[in-house]
Amino acid sequence: MTELVQESRDETVHETSEYLESFKPRSMDWKAARTFAVKNLRIAIRYPANLLVWGILPIFWFAPFILMATAIGGVETSVHFTEISGFDNYIQFVVIGWFVYMYLDTSIWAIGNNFRWEQMSGTLEPLFSTPVPRISILLGAAMSDTVQGTLQAIILLGICVVMFGLQYALVAILPTIIILTLMVMALYGFSFMLAGLILVFKDPSVLTEMISELTFVVSPVNYPVQALPRSVQFVAYLIPTTIGIVTIREVAITGMWNLLSFTQAVLGLGVLVVCFWAIGISVFRFAEKWTKQRGHMGGF
Amino acid sequence: MTQESIFEKMWNRRGFRAELRAANALAVKQWQVEFSYPLSVLWFIVMPFLWFIPALIAGTVIAGGSESTYLEGIAGTTDWLTYIAIGSAFTGLAVSLIWGTGFALRREQNVGTLETLMTTPMRRDTLVWGSSLHNIQHGGLGVILQLGASIILFGVNLNLWGVLPALGIIGLSIIGLQGLVFTVVCIVLLAKQAWMVVEFLSSILFLVAPMTYPIAVLPPILQYISYGSPLTWSVEGFRGFLMGSLAGPALLHTVGALIIIDFAFIVIGTLMFRRAERYVRARGALSQF
Repeated sequence: MTELVQESRDETVHETSEYLESFKPRSMDWKAARTFAVKNLRIAIRYPANLLVWGILPIFWFAPFILMATAIGGVETSVHFTEISGFDNYIQFVVIGWFVYMYLDTSIWAIGNNFRWEQMSGTLEPLFSTPVPRISILLGAAMSDTVQGTLQAIILLGICVVMFGLQYALVAILPTIIILTLMVMALYGFSFMLAGLILVFKDPSVLTEMISELTFVVSPVNYPVQALPRSVQFVAYLIPTTIGIVTIREVAITGMWNLLSFTQAVLGLGVLVVCFWAIGISVFRFAEKWTKQRGHMGGF
Repeated sequence: MTQESIFEKMWNRRGFRAELRAANALAVKQWQVEFSYPLSVLWFIVMPFLWFIPALIAGTVIAGGSESTYLEGIAGTTDWLTYIAIGSAFTGLAVSLIWGTGFALRREQNVGTLETLMTTPMRRDTLVWGSSLHNIQHGGLGVILQLGASIILFGVNLNLWGVLPALGIIGLSIIGLQGLVFTVVCIVLLAKQAWMVVEFLSSILFLVAPMTYPIAVLPPILQYISYGSPLTWSVEGFRGFLMGSLAGPALLHTVGALIIIDFAFIVIGTLMFRRAERYVRARGALSQF
């Protein structure tokens, strides 16, 4: 028995040493990102009801806006709304807004808070002592949350289409995928920044809530972006989902694919991807260094 | 005073005043916790506006002006802005009570102080009432902030003579809402990670409440559910007094319905809480996560 234990110890030492000897620091470890994404998805699969619940709950959040619009403007969509937005069906308009907004919500509540949950489960310090770049871990978390967020957004869209008898143009599928891909990439940078802030501030409830509400107010989810004051419109376009909502809404409702405005949207999102990744990674690295220097990593 | 005599005095404390002091101590403690986080203070100030602004912008886009003739037909007023401002202000108070108090015991459990609190010589329901007292103050200040800013910034019109009766309605509504709070506390005590159940229940409750729209726009089945909720009569009464539109038979109807629902909710809620609390303690599950 003692021999077996000794043998096993030797093996472990040997394996560990070999791994560490061949280890070379990299700026991005895709294998680690994939492993982390698979780990998170495995946990998510254990709670299938969560996907359904998060697909249905947003209906309760936007239904009050639809009911309020009915109370103020009547059963038919109001003329003033049509004049400002260019669309003649408020429900069809709002559902697309919420469909895209689900990604922003996920990036704030799920990806940004990922390290906080690891901390709550007591696995943050072991995770941070693994020899892989932190960005790989964050990216892995972001990828798994994107898969879950996409499923929830599709459930929401499907239920709304059936419940309200809505119709959207099928021609919008390809441009929607292109825009969503770029938007999600930009949101990754945004959530890296949030993850850094949460490492510093710890209790994320107030910070996350505040960012979530502020981005919701300036996002054209329940109203067109033209309804916002000029200066706020500029801020709104700094959030990746604004370009996403405006472009996808236009194509999905009208079925018209304007190449010029689409190219502008793609370029705009491209710029946001570069900016948010640069800012997000810098903020996260600074926050990590700051937290480690103060020995706050596992603190609550 | 020796330590023994302090403990003896504590164990002998009885009566309403003693419970009120305990509840007040809990409320003050919660304020101290909140004020030790600067972000919480900032959030407390901006939150009422951030909740109201999306409804304000959406309403402006739909109405195109300060009046809505369609709303007059179903709610008796053209002033949609005042209508939704008062309703959403009340939402802040209700959210504060239901979520803030409902999860107070869970927060104590997370920080490891629930068992200590449960063994202090006071009634168990005082723990919940103490948290409610804090959230009434917290949510009440939010209502004042939001309505004050709505009058100054957005031109909301309030009937000042209705302020006192509206406060009376808030007093009545707290009784019914406390019944709901006890129900949420039961769910939290039994299910621990119960936020998803509570999220569903509160979403349904707020959906059927006439916060930013009259219940006439709801499908008939939801209207029936709405009539059985204390939130419905509370908001109708609160708004009715502040807009100067509640008088005569409508006043008696609203206040009467609120009193009956209050009685039913507080009795059922209190009994459920006592039973759930005893059950959890009997199973030794108080500190389980």
